[in-house]
Amino acid sequence: MTFLTNIAKIMSRYWQVFLIQGIGYTLLLSLIAVGGGAFFGALLALAKRSKLKILKALVNIIVEVVRGTPVLLQLYIGVFAFPLIIPKLSSMPYIYSVSIVLIINSSAYVSEIIRSGIEAVDSGQMEAARSLGLTQRTAMLSIVLPQAIKNILPALGNEFIMVVKETSLASTFFVGELMTAYLKVKGYTYLTMECLIIVGVLYLALTYILSKILKAWERRMKAHA
Amino acid sequence: MPEVMLEIKNIYKNFGDLRVLKGVSTTVNKGEVVSIIGVSGSGKSTFLRCMNLLEEPTFGEVWMEGRLMTPVDPYLREETICATRTFKNLVAGGMDRDAAIKKIKDEDLLKEKHPRAEGPEYQALMKKIYDENHIDINLGRQKMGMVFQNFNLFNNKTVKENITLAPIKIGKQRLKDAKKRGEAVTKTPDDIEKEANEKAMQLLTRIGLQDKADVYPSTLSGGQRQRVAIVRALAMEPDVMLFDEPTSALDPEMVGEVLDLIRSLVKSGMTSVIVTHEMGFAKEVSDRVLFMHDGVIAEEGTPEEVFNNPKNPRCREFLSKVLY
Repeated sequence: MTFLTNIAKIMSRYWQVFLIQGIGYTLLLSLIAVGGGAFFGALLALAKRSKLKILKALVNIIVEVVRGTPVLLQLYIGVFAFPLIIPKLSSMPYIYSVSIVLIINSSAYVSEIIRSGIEAVDSGQMEAARSLGLTQRTAMLSIVLPQAIKNILPALGNEFIMVVKETSLASTFFVGELMTAYLKVKGYTYLTMECLIIVGVLYLALTYILSKILKAWERRMKAHA
Repeated sequence: MPEVMLEIKNIYKNFGDLRVLKGVSTTVNKGEVVSIIGVSGSGKSTFLRCMNLLEEPTFGEVWMEGRLMTPVDPYLREETICATRTFKNLVAGGMDRDAAIKKIKDEDLLKEKHPRAEGPEYQALMKKIYDENHIDINLGRQKMGMVFQNFNLFNNKTVKENITLAPIKIGKQRLKDAKKRGEAVTKTPDDIEKEANEKAMQLLTRIGLQDKADVYPSTLSGGQRQRVAIVRALAMEPDVMLFDEPTSALDPEMVGEVLDLIRSLVKSGMTSVIVTHEMGFAKEVSDRVLFMHDGVIAEEGTPEEVFNNPKNPRCREFLSKVLY
């Protein structure tokens, strides 16, 4: 019983830290990571489909390195290495470096999502378009990509949910997201278990709502196919 | 003298180590109907796909209405061979002209992948031939309609959009280009769309599918899809139609409707190349039949010659299996 009253007490006193700062930063970081990841991931996917062998190899290396090393390690390297490359970053909060790392990380995954989404479109679609005399560009933009997007968007949504959870690692650098909120409030109250449960429930609620939104969206897309 | 529509010169196609076409040449005249038959894997589909460069030939040239669609193949001309350093070295070594040309052709001696190695005279000549004859690959393809075994209708477009997409996109592009060149244009983009839509409805009415204009291809039967695919190709007003096993993926009861459409098209004088397993149909509509075996044309002639009196033993064997 004291457990529940403790949770209620913590929430009434620190709700802003959890709900506004915590969830706010978690969503912000996830949006930045997936938004930036979608943009740069698309560029990487384009580069991977290009005829230039060097470009292809470069993208392959980036993707393999990002996918083959832990995010936490990437965050450490980013936070300590980026200020050396861009001196301005050293005077800025860690969240900038963390954001860049998350964008790079998610670009690698998103590029694979986009690539496989495009490859999943039957090659006959491109052939038919080209056989009519349409350029590669027009065929890609009006026939292949619209069909690829149907494969890409659901996977991109899943990536978003993954990133929401991955942002918890950014708490290592105290950037203010949900896990940082846990560290803070635990520090004030010494009530570890209660704080963990609160944060856990919040993560669960976030991802659950997101996945429901995605499901509804997917259904709508299917109805339009 | 019949007007030459499509000319294929000594095409080779390799997929890695696999040699699919080993020197195929043929000429398709205007109004002619050519059927290509042969066992699976004999290279007949690859040959057809090389005609509109969906497969790029490894060697050889494709000419559409007198314009070159592929890069120049130096082996096809004595003048280009004579311009190379390889040839000059051979002649300087005491070989006579014809022997040197023969040796180069037989032993594949030209370094055509590294034109610099063959000297500036060769490079200039190759560029001259190319510049004088080549046509943009997309322009060439616009004159060739292609019908696929698996229909390949655009899944994200309605039946009508499938038909109008290419005419509208390409029509608008032509309009833009004409404006850029400073030519007087009388049409607006809206006119092009209107015309394309009218044309599409005409074509759909012709195949009796006018009430399917606004549905998506996934709701059509196989036979309906293939007929839409055929009129989609016709909407570009091509000069030649290429059919790649148009009935092979259809249920038996739908083969008839598609063949009827192709038959009426061919009867109206459309130049066509048809890869098919329908021997009766090939015999009925073709002016000329090519039998392909192992990457070459093993037998060629009128349907009577090929079907009734085949000379090539492979062709005899094949026909005895498929004609009963």
